[in-house]
Amino acid sequence: MASTAGGKSSNAKLVLLGDAGTGKSSIVLRFVKNQFIDFQESTIGAAFFSQTLTVDDASVKFDIWDTAGQERYHSLAPMYYRGAAAAIVAYDITNQASFDRAKKWVQELQAHGSSGTVVALAGNKADLIDSRKVSAEEARRYAQDNGLLFMETSAKLATNVSEMFSQIAKRLIEAQPAGNPSGTSLLLQTPSSTMPRPSSCCSSS
Amino acid sequence: MNIDETGIGCVKNSSSSASSGRNGIYLPGIEERRIRKWRKMIGVGGSDWKHYVRRKPLVVKRRIRKGIPDCLRGLVWQLISGSRDLLLMNPGVYEQLVIYETSASELDIIRDISRTFPTHVFFQQRHGPGQRSLYNVLKAYSVYDRDVGYVQGMGFLAGLLLLYMSEEDAFWLLVALLKGAVHSPMEGLYQVGLPLVQKYLSQFEQLVKEKFPKLGEHFSEEMVNPSMYASQWFITVFSYSFPFPLALRIWDVFLYEGVKVVFQVGLALLGYCHDELIKLPFEKLVPALKNFPEDAMNPDVLLPMAFSIKVSRRLLELEEEHKKRNQGMLQQSTSSAKQKR
Repeated sequence: MASTAGGKSSNAKLVLLGDAGTGKSSIVLRFVKNQFIDFQESTIGAAFFSQTLTVDDASVKFDIWDTAGQERYHSLAPMYYRGAAAAIVAYDITNQASFDRAKKWVQELQAHGSSGTVVALAGNKADLIDSRKVSAEEARRYAQDNGLLFMETSAKLATNVSEMFSQIAKRLIEAQPAGNPSGTSLLLQTPSSTMPRPSSCCSSS
Repeated sequence: MNIDETGIGCVKNSSSSASSGRNGIYLPGIEERRIRKWRKMIGVGGSDWKHYVRRKPLVVKRRIRKGIPDCLRGLVWQLISGSRDLLLMNPGVYEQLVIYETSASELDIIRDISRTFPTHVFFQQRHGPGQRSLYNVLKAYSVYDRDVGYVQGMGFLAGLLLLYMSEEDAFWLLVALLKGAVHSPMEGLYQVGLPLVQKYLSQFEQLVKEKFPKLGEHFSEEMVNPSMYASQWFITVFSYSFPFPLALRIWDVFLYEGVKVVFQVGLALLGYCHDELIKLPFEKLVPALKNFPEDAMNPDVLLPMAFSIKVSRRLLELEEEHKKRNQGMLQQSTSSAKQKR
């Protein structure tokens, strides 16, 4: 198993979900390459990235699936969120419909995702305050009620993007049962691959 | 990128492989002779084309596989796809769709317009002619077929076409493809549940196992399946994130021979990188399947490899199997639904 001595290094499959044009690919690009492109090409199918993050003295390697946002591509999504240790559900703070869609994604994860998945709600495009349609309060309350991490992010200005991934990593590390590396944590369940192996004894999905 | 969207400036602007000899050296004499042959085959405004294809289909196939001269590409694409006939049978229809109808997808289309080939000069300018044409074609299609509407991915098809023809011509070519004027319809790529994507991916997965058993096994061990890397190949016919010179040559063949070539090119890419891919663990394998090395992208290397991979008969058999499996699943789900009631 890839997790090294003391469980200080681990793999986590993370999926980005959310309506088209909310900035999922931009969030990943900011996190992985610290770049931003004004006109990011639409994602067709899904894109894959990996990036390691060190929090305190533990490191988490994120295997990230960035999905196509349009409703029509919905049928491809379960493959990417199944067995995921974490999910970021993105909406655009200037677009109410994208927030409604984000709630639907959260419901879907609650109903069909793995029980231990850490879910973060990201109100992206936080730099466009003048066009804001979704209040931070409303989103925060929704996140609290549903046990989600919540941040308003701006991939453009690099606001809260790496912070969000750090918080996710922290939560994943905390959830890791101490002294029991073969426990039910999704973080340790899939050390050498991002997909749960059929032979896995402890799949919670 | 050496694309000339107007198609003017024949020899000078023709696409890389078309204008160069075997060693990549520019050979004006050969290129001019090639274009002359093509012009003769087409006739004035396409008048001799059908006759020629009927008489010498294999010559046409061979010439298309070598690449359609860039200055004739727009016209030939319309002839081989059957879109020219659709255009002539439906005068004024496109204008009606663009000007007088409204579409539920308008906002979705606008959202994606500046995200389609964002680095290509023709589509770069905000609200410029490229973006406006792209909007009109996609909006017209979303009205023409309201069930399918607009789906992300269509923009790359329409965008590629618009580099070679007018809006109205591009629209009818899109119709010819999705409704199946010459080959089987492709609208299933974009319908709810993406049925045709699912079918193609299951066929492709099986072909990989059969053509490259070791690689197929490696994919299963690493839990990599084609939907992780090949869905965009089918959804956009390689127009998404592949270099234009390669995409154009694939499209030449695709429009004449059908979707088979997408399978062949996909398999050729895997074959070309086989020995590398087989060594990679999941987290390196998936990125490698999305970023093939530059030398694999040379159409004069990749396409001959692709054509040497025979898939037609297997594709038909696999299609039958897929159909049976789906019917089985359908029966199962309907019978279980009945039981619930």
